[in-house]
Amino acid sequence: MAQFSRTWWGQRFIAALEKIMDSGRLSRGRSYARGGKVKSFEIKDGVISAQVRGSVNPYFGVYTEPLYTTTIEFKSISAANWSAAIAYVASKASLISRLMLNEIPDNIDNAFAKLDVHLLPHHEDDFKTECSCPDWSNPCKHIAGVYYLLAAQLDQDPFLLFELRGLSREALQKELAKSPLGQALSAELTLTKSAPEPDLSYFTKPTVQTAVAVGSLKDFWHGAKRLPQTIEAAPQASVPAILVKKQGDFPPFWDKESSFVETMEELYGRIRTKNTQLF
Amino acid sequence: MKILHGTWIPQVEDGFIQRGAFYLWVETNEVTKKSKTTQHIHPCQLFKNDLETFLMQELGIKSELRLHPIAERISPQYFLLPSHGDRPLPSLELARYIEQDLPEAFELKYWQVDCYAAKTPIHMIGSDYELVTNVIKLLNELHFIAMNNLAEVQLGADLLFWYHYTQTFKQVILKDQYIPALKYREVVHPKQTVSAKSKKSQPKNEPNFEVYPGWEITSDQYETDLKRYVDYMPLACVAGFAEPHETPEFYDRELLLRHFSECLLTEIATHTPSTAGFEQKIDDTLLHHCLSANDSSLGKNSRLELYQQWRTWRDRISHIQTAIPFYLCFQLQEPGQPEAPWELQFLAAPKQDPSLRVPLTEYWSSKATRQKELQKQLGERFEQNLLLNLGYAARIYPKLWQGLETDQPVSIAMDLAEAFEFLQDSAWVLESAGYKVIIPAWWTPKGHQRAKVRLRAKGKSLSRAQDKSKSYFSYDNLVQYQYDLSIGGEQVSEKEWLELVKAKSPLVKFRGQWMHLDQDKMQQMLEFWKKHQQENPEISLIDFMRLTAEGNEDLEVEFDRGQTLAEMLDKLHDKSRLEAISDPVHLQGTLREYQKRGLSWLSYLEQLGLNGCLADDMGLGKTVQVIARLVQEQEQAKQAAMPLKPTLLIAPTSVVGNWRKEIEKFAPHLCSIVHHGTERAKDTTEFQAMAQQNHVVITSFTLIRKDLKLIESVDWHRLVLDEAQNIKNPKAEQTKAILKLSAPHRLALTGTPVENRLLDLWSIFNFLNPGYLGKEAHFRKSFEVPIQKNNDPVRSATLKKLVEPFILRRVKTDQSIIKDLPDKVEQKLYCNLTKEQASLYEAVVKDITGELDEAEGIQRKGLILATLLKLKQICNHPRQFLQDESDFSPERSHKLSRLSEMVAEVMAEGESLLIFTQFTELGDALEKYLRQTCHYNTYYLHGGTNRNKREQMITEFQDPETEPSVFILSLKAGGVGITLTKANHVFHFDRWWNPAVENQATDRAFRIGQKKNVFVHKFVAIGTLEERIDEMIEDKKKLAGAIVGSDESWLSNLDNDSFKQLITLNKSAILE
Repeated sequence: MAQFSRTWWGQRFIAALEKIMDSGRLSRGRSYARGGKVKSFEIKDGVISAQVRGSVNPYFGVYTEPLYTTTIEFKSISAANWSAAIAYVASKASLISRLMLNEIPDNIDNAFAKLDVHLLPHHEDDFKTECSCPDWSNPCKHIAGVYYLLAAQLDQDPFLLFELRGLSREALQKELAKSPLGQALSAELTLTKSAPEPDLSYFTKPTVQTAVAVGSLKDFWHGAKRLPQTIEAAPQASVPAILVKKQGDFPPFWDKESSFVETMEELYGRIRTKNTQLF
Repeated sequence: MKILHGTWIPQVEDGFIQRGAFYLWVETNEVTKKSKTTQHIHPCQLFKNDLETFLMQELGIKSELRLHPIAERISPQYFLLPSHGDRPLPSLELARYIEQDLPEAFELKYWQVDCYAAKTPIHMIGSDYELVTNVIKLLNELHFIAMNNLAEVQLGADLLFWYHYTQTFKQVILKDQYIPALKYREVVHPKQTVSAKSKKSQPKNEPNFEVYPGWEITSDQYETDLKRYVDYMPLACVAGFAEPHETPEFYDRELLLRHFSECLLTEIATHTPSTAGFEQKIDDTLLHHCLSANDSSLGKNSRLELYQQWRTWRDRISHIQTAIPFYLCFQLQEPGQPEAPWELQFLAAPKQDPSLRVPLTEYWSSKATRQKELQKQLGERFEQNLLLNLGYAARIYPKLWQGLETDQPVSIAMDLAEAFEFLQDSAWVLESAGYKVIIPAWWTPKGHQRAKVRLRAKGKSLSRAQDKSKSYFSYDNLVQYQYDLSIGGEQVSEKEWLELVKAKSPLVKFRGQWMHLDQDKMQQMLEFWKKHQQENPEISLIDFMRLTAEGNEDLEVEFDRGQTLAEMLDKLHDKSRLEAISDPVHLQGTLREYQKRGLSWLSYLEQLGLNGCLADDMGLGKTVQVIARLVQEQEQAKQAAMPLKPTLLIAPTSVVGNWRKEIEKFAPHLCSIVHHGTERAKDTTEFQAMAQQNHVVITSFTLIRKDLKLIESVDWHRLVLDEAQNIKNPKAEQTKAILKLSAPHRLALTGTPVENRLLDLWSIFNFLNPGYLGKEAHFRKSFEVPIQKNNDPVRSATLKKLVEPFILRRVKTDQSIIKDLPDKVEQKLYCNLTKEQASLYEAVVKDITGELDEAEGIQRKGLILATLLKLKQICNHPRQFLQDESDFSPERSHKLSRLSEMVAEVMAEGESLLIFTQFTELGDALEKYLRQTCHYNTYYLHGGTNRNKREQMITEFQDPETEPSVFILSLKAGGVGITLTKANHVFHFDRWWNPAVENQATDRAFRIGQKKNVFVHKFVAIGTLEERIDEMIEDKKKLAGAIVGSDESWLSNLDNDSFKQLITLNKSAILE
């Protein structure tokens, strides 16, 4: 994980923290996040509570690995403001479609501008942090570690941002239900995600059947229908990697900084053209 | 003969990943001695060593590396095959080469066969070579080899199926219709024994799953194709196994196809040559795992999360791919005023009824009830799907976001540059992504108006064509031309052109029409035009036609309206524009409408000095059209008082007599002579004199080579090649000899669809218009290989354009032909006797002449009937008379040779036919010959056929899924009661004395349910009793008093002299 977030909102989210912290603590926070020091991580009613493993440090008299409790709490946006903001969102197809595609629209702030609030944390007042560690500074590196992980999670689940700012998923659904476009988004969000279905075999399993009586030799050697007399002409070149392109770049499982779509284009191209010995 | 078989065989299952391989084997009737029929080992196969030699020497499979000899890829596999007793039965393809009747009942048994696994070594980065399945490429090559008879092999129906399937499946790879995938496997662990010691080191929850990287096909087309191919798939393709099973079993067809497709895709993807650079790009990602060729599952770290992330991504791909019930459409609207904005409108169309396009403006502005109605058509959750779909589209074409800044999106506005970009790129991208894009007609290839340098043919020297006397013999017409600047077919001045070159946008409105111009190219064209403007070049008509056909993007050939040259080329490309001309005065007979158009085409082409190929379907009367042309030109020549030189007609020996006969019938005033046989002219002077005295000299392909010196010595007016496919081998002496002859006019006739056999086509054109299609090697490279091996539509279209003006081919299914054609077309085929037949015939006649005078009463009658029988047998084939099991070869009977040529044509057309004969022994011989020597699918019904077998044959023959077949029937057994309407050709190999009986037989095909015209072909041996009896039937008056009965006994009422006259052989009818 070179970067914690590749989305604009995740990066903006991180920027709010980076504005108020020194680079030393930030960098240690990043190693905490990367190094699996954050032991547990829970979000409830907009409050994040985490258990972070500290380091042994005889100089400070810490001889066994300590476990600190860290919380981050974001300032809630009032219910009335949420109502107004969601009403605005639900009046623009562009905002709704992007949310449906699991993206925070880059002009989302328009929905909040009139209300004089920001969806993304903007200012140190927008969140409160606490940690049980002995560090005098707040936010400390443990808080930063948790914060970075939170940013990474926002990439995959942008609606978490709404939750952090005081709009629970149920409340979001309720607000969305008020307008036709909102209903469309609401319906998309409630689509149940399918549980992993186990694959019984890697390739489709070719099963056998007991041979029924074969009427004639022709039934054995020929198909039920005659093959077409001609082979369809080779198609014209089409746009490469189109299946993948529609899903947008940087799917969750791709954590390289280079574009997934471009990499796939190259990959498809290689498979198409470099296998001259095979087809 | 060797038949190639093969199929996909899954490995013996041994875990989660079950692979497979494509195995090829060779069935043969040339069984080597050493192969004893050991139990379970297929006796008629090429065994390992022979197979290896055969693969390398005949099929050109290279043993690429010493490390990977072919022998290593050969291993025994097991096939469940129809068997009888202790032997497997031959495949249907091989059965046609074996003189052995197949039993009706059979059982299925497993046979061990040495198989070659279709794999080739591929070099892998950082490791050695790996063997990878190359079945797509291999089958394409084998098909090409078999098609072009490059080796003595034939593809079995099983392999042919796989050839078709692999060609179709290739599209999945060419169109990127697959994605990297993960497979989630549940693993059942044995219960862990928890010991106190190892408590710490043992993870508490051993995960009960594994995740494997791989590939997945995601394509609607693939799913549709699978369903379609299941119906084409023979059981033979699901009967191959890695080890024999206990009971007879087959694989499930669809599952085997899926297994094959998935394995193949994975093998190809994981063996794609890579580079260090690319490896770095995908290092430590899902793609790296998916591309690596080992079978291991992913490491334990975060694999469940990875799987879930991938799974969500995949579900979304398949959702938009298949689940949304409507198409999102985008329609680009051009502005009324050039400066006004363009508009891209959004529409939705139900997938079930894509022509019902609902503009979103209409949808949003509709009342709620109407919206509900529309939603019914556009599917559940329409608005939700619409927004999702718009969002996906906007991802691909971000400008769309602008149109979504509302709660009711309907369209976006664009300026000129954006519209241009959209037309140029985005429209295509959206279309490929499954959206429907509707663009203005002027952008489509059809409506596209281009700026071009126009080659304007002035055709000035063609004006000579108006002068009848000269034009008739002028064939080196020259075309004059000049270059113009033109846009969309209209001439443009240099000034206008320059203005357009300077226009800011490639989209311009010019003379009231929007169009797309490429200014850089226009600049180049302008320079080209300036350079060539001063020239006034001339080329020959045929070179000009080649120039027009081969075309060039920037150079357009056009003509001024109403100009003769334009009109002329139009007529040649679209023959329906030729006017039918009236029958020549001296033609004895009436031409059908299409035959008149044919005549018009023949004379038109010759007037222009071009040589063509008349390729009408068999039965449409090519002969009579040629004769009409001969009559017509004689009339024209007479008018112009210009005597014509003779025409040389070259035909297969079996039709030489027929030509003579037809000329006598339709144009008795034309002098024709057959140059053939021992009596033929022997020296140049004699030959020249003979040619001078005749309008037409008919000879055979064989004699051209023998008598080239004589034939060359005459200045011919025209060469006509009947059955022109006979010159398809450019290296044959006969072809070379024909190419040496010179004549101003050349005409080729053929009934086989030449356009599908490219080398035949080339050979015919090499005769007609040498050089027009280039040299043979060049033609192979630029047309044959791209079209037949790579299925290249562009080359194919170019070739069609090139040859189209020179080929007139009407098929009997053309609507315009059907209306000119009676439902039943009867035709007689006159054949000569071979020398052997003639001497047998004469001997019989000689014997009887003496005996007849002495015989009386019953004895006389018996003698007459026996003689008739003998003579008819001789007319059919010497073997039938001799009954000595000697060779039933076409060389011994022109009748048989003509029959097999015609059957070949019918088969090439994909049609079925009936052959009637009175003689069981002949039926037997014909069936064997057509099945074993010509390899057609045959049925044979005779007096001894039992009822069940008879019904089964009829059903099978009639089944539309049965390949085109030959049905041989004895006149007595098959003459009544049954329906064989799949056949639309009926042959009467020998004649019955009563036309009513023949007609009844013909009616097996000509019955209710027959949708095609029926062609009836009756064979008549020239100069024999057959011909005379035919005349009697045609014109009963000639035999006063004789009553034509239902059998031959009435003939015994003839007096001795009449009878002798009836059977005497006319010696001029003998042909070698």
